[in-house]
Amino acid sequence: MSSWLQIVDTAGAVLLLIGAAICLLGVIGMLRLPDVLSRSHAATKPQSLGMLLVLAGVALRLRSGMDLATLALIGFFQLMTGPVAAHLVARSAYRTGQIDHGELLFDELDEQLTEES
Amino acid sequence: MKRLITFPYRNKNLPPFSCEFGGRRPRVIDLPLIAWLTVIWVMLWSSLNWANVLTGVVVAVAVCLAFPLPQVDLGLRLHPWGILRLVTYLLYDMYTSGVKVTRQIFADRPHRAAVIAVPLRCRSDLMLTATAVAVSNVPGGSIVEVRRATATVFVHVLDADRPAELDAARRSVWRMEELTVRAFGTRDEIDRVAGPPPPAPHTGERPGDQEEGA
Repeated sequence: MSSWLQIVDTAGAVLLLIGAAICLLGVIGMLRLPDVLSRSHAATKPQSLGMLLVLAGVALRLRSGMDLATLALIGFFQLMTGPVAAHLVARSAYRTGQIDHGELLFDELDEQLTEES
Repeated sequence: MKRLITFPYRNKNLPPFSCEFGGRRPRVIDLPLIAWLTVIWVMLWSSLNWANVLTGVVVAVAVCLAFPLPQVDLGLRLHPWGILRLVTYLLYDMYTSGVKVTRQIFADRPHRAAVIAVPLRCRSDLMLTATAVAVSNVPGGSIVEVRRATATVFVHVLDADRPAELDAARRSVWRMEELTVRAFGTRDEIDRVAGPPPPAPHTGERPGDQEEGA
């Protein structure tokens, strides 16, 4: 029985480590990528994957019902709010002209915005 | 005499699952919202007992009365099989998009990004929002702008050099839309999503033009 517990503990630790490493990758991406929109990719996707893995790792080590519910709540709200925050950053960056249009290959939003005004 | 609380079986004008708080300015509050807020409150306290549940209900009602939400027609249906499929696809997509973004981070050559317009088939606000949230997790999707009038999302795509990549990005947005609507949508929306995707806009052509009659 205790060997099973040890296996679960080890799996939790491994998940924590992988999740933290993926979050680190996101940070490296934010440093390496050139502009706001590309950086928002790096800031959201590896982060949410890494955070889910960290939560899973913590869940494997805690193993009690109410804590699992709290962890599920954390994951749910992170997944719901992360895209909204990223969208607001991207939108405000776009609208205030922080985007280097020369960098973009083409831009179908710009055409529609200029058509309107 | 005016009642303090009116339930829908007394007043047929109220929407289902809601009750009205009397007073000089009556307020309508949603019972599922109260239940959900109470569940969150209990989860945050990490222990299930009567004191927590009661204070949770009190806090939820107080919050709903203090910050009334605008009345929206949610049109929310829950399809368990659809939700399961959506969650599975989301997890898989999250893994592949994590791998893809990582590969682009460490690529030596500079990639060219682009912003593409993807017209959607669903029309309700909730489905549009849910699709946008889901798309933010798929490979190469980062929402820059959502246009409600034509139900178009504008997606920032990394690595847009190859036309195949752009097609793949559009198709993944449409697939996410279909999965989302099949998980939460009404029958009407599901029928709409079952149809073929709207033609992809070419440069210089407005995607709303063909849809004016719909």
